Amino acid sequence: MTDTTDQQPAAAPAAPKGGTRGDAETIPVTQQTMQTLTKRVLELIFLLFFISTLLFFLLRLTGDPAAVLAGETGDQEQLELIRKQYGLDKPLVVQYGVFLYKMVQGDFGNSLANAQDALGLVMERLPTSFTLVIIAFTANLIISIPLGAWLGSRPDRTGRKLAATAVFIAQGIPGYITGLILIQIFAVELRWLPSIGNQGPLSWIMPAITLAAFQAPQVVRVISANVAEAMREDYIRTARANGAGFNTLLWRHALKNAMLGATALIGAQVSFLVGGSIITEVIFAWPGLGRLLVTSVQTLDFPVVQAAVFMIAIFVYFAITMTDIVFLFIDPRLRRQRA
Amino acid sequence: MTTATAPAPAPAFRFKKLGTGSVQLDLGLILFAIVVIALLGQWAFLAPSDLDGNLTSRLKPPFFTGRDGTFHIVGTDQLGRDLFFRVLGGLPWSLGISGVAVICVAVIGTFIGLIGAWYTGIVRTIVLLGVAAMIAMPFLVLALVVVAVVGRGFWPLSLTMGFIAWTAVSRVIYAEARGLLTREYVLAARLFGVNKWSILIFHILPGLRPTILVMAAFFFAVLLIIESALSFLGLGAPLNAPSWGNMLSDSRQYLVNAPWMMFVPATAIVTAVISLNLIGDGFAELSRKRARAVEV
Repeated sequence: MTDTTDQQPAAAPAAPKGGTRGDAETIPVTQQTMQTLTKRVLELIFLLFFISTLLFFLLRLTGDPAAVLAGETGDQEQLELIRKQYGLDKPLVVQYGVFLYKMVQGDFGNSLANAQDALGLVMERLPTSFTLVIIAFTANLIISIPLGAWLGSRPDRTGRKLAATAVFIAQGIPGYITGLILIQIFAVELRWLPSIGNQGPLSWIMPAITLAAFQAPQVVRVISANVAEAMREDYIRTARANGAGFNTLLWRHALKNAMLGATALIGAQVSFLVGGSIITEVIFAWPGLGRLLVTSVQTLDFPVVQAAVFMIAIFVYFAITMTDIVFLFIDPRLRRQRA
Repeated sequence: MTTATAPAPAPAFRFKKLGTGSVQLDLGLILFAIVVIALLGQWAFLAPSDLDGNLTSRLKPPFFTGRDGTFHIVGTDQLGRDLFFRVLGGLPWSLGISGVAVICVAVIGTFIGLIGAWYTGIVRTIVLLGVAAMIAMPFLVLALVVVAVVGRGFWPLSLTMGFIAWTAVSRVIYAEARGLLTREYVLAARLFGVNKWSILIFHILPGLRPTILVMAAFFFAVLLIIESALSFLGLGAPLNAPSWGNMLSDSRQYLVNAPWMMFVPATAIVTAVISLNLIGDGFAELSRKRARAVEV
């Protein structure tokens, strides 16, 4: 990806005549960017509305929210107080309206555990999680793109068949097992790496590998399949006939095409990485958003749960939209309007 | 990708040939059969007392024989419970929960996908918008939140996962069904005035079968991983249930003294996931082969 982004300025001016295959329905990049943005924002609003409604009604269907809010120690007096404080004595429709109104304003209430502002707590943790996700995402791409290209270039050779089998097996190993095995080897047996918390770059290695391991095998397999397919295309044969060497064919022509085909996958990666980061953060006691979410779920600290889920949704959508737009600039094929 | 080298069998001899025509599918089915036999066998051979612990043999390594003569082939856990029996006892939990969930996923995903493909206008817009929105959300996050409210246990967990994870299936089904709906035989059925549900069920659904099988196999694996992850986080199966995720979660505190506590359930999960991935790959390969055979 780092390679192809360099060509963004070169590709952008070509946009108006992007589709040179005689199709008149090519629309300008800016317009399409706006369309993508609108679509994603609509989806995000729908999602946030859905999640908050789901939480609101689940919480009220499955029991007394006041009891949940009060925790295990709440007595009758406390329950009354909480009902007043949160407006739980009002009719359901009114509650729902108030709930949505506050949500729009970004007011999630205070954490039940320590009375801090829920959104503030979440925002505090966001950078730590963000670091982990970015490192893992980069590591993932740095490892899986060359590996996938290598595997896909000559898939019939014995060494690559063995490597492909290893990747297949790796795909069957869930990230939390990778994490535990890494701890067992590098922290318990060899004592090389710290296994707990965020204590500088050395402590980033194991969480990042664990998180990358959630999805790297899948990316490798998709890219190798795409490269293998691209290597059979006519334009590769033409390039070869023009005297291009194997490495040029693979890295400049086939891989570029294969990468662009993997757009959807890269976007979906972010969602998987965020899901995986929750478990990774718990395993390595990483002080991030995921661990906050798990602890608040365990202690039924709903204001924090809600704020965390909202921020995760916004983060994922931001990342997906960015990928969409970047690829829109890189890949001329995406610019044509699909009817 | 490892491609099976088995030659495509001639149709007439298919029943005489052992195997399905796909090496991956064969391997996957064999592995999965072992798992299922273990599942069935435990009702015949596993006595409830086998799951009880014996505090005199806590945290014993593999191949340990206790004072009372019981042999622990893969060791014991922190309460002296035999890990092998516990893995067997965890089968109905881990595979059962993800099995129920995958059925929900296939049914709901197919249904919503078909609805989106058949209707146009506002219904399709809502379906597509909803699916696109839900698909972006990591479903571990959604599952965590819902499980927190509905509680833990077999049915809450499996239904929650089933009702959350269907979006990816419905997106694929939607795309395929729209392709099938443009075929001549569907047009003919429409012209004959066949009811829309009949068209969807008797004309579209059979064409989707290979896709559904492939997706179901992969989702079985994904849901198994998610179930173990939730149990691992302490939000899945009930605490004392021998689910594989619970066993992994227990093992975290004893990584230094008793690493086998981690490796035994990890092996079980990885074997199950790999066998399901093999089955999914095998189905995909078979349907590709068939498509190619039709073209030729």
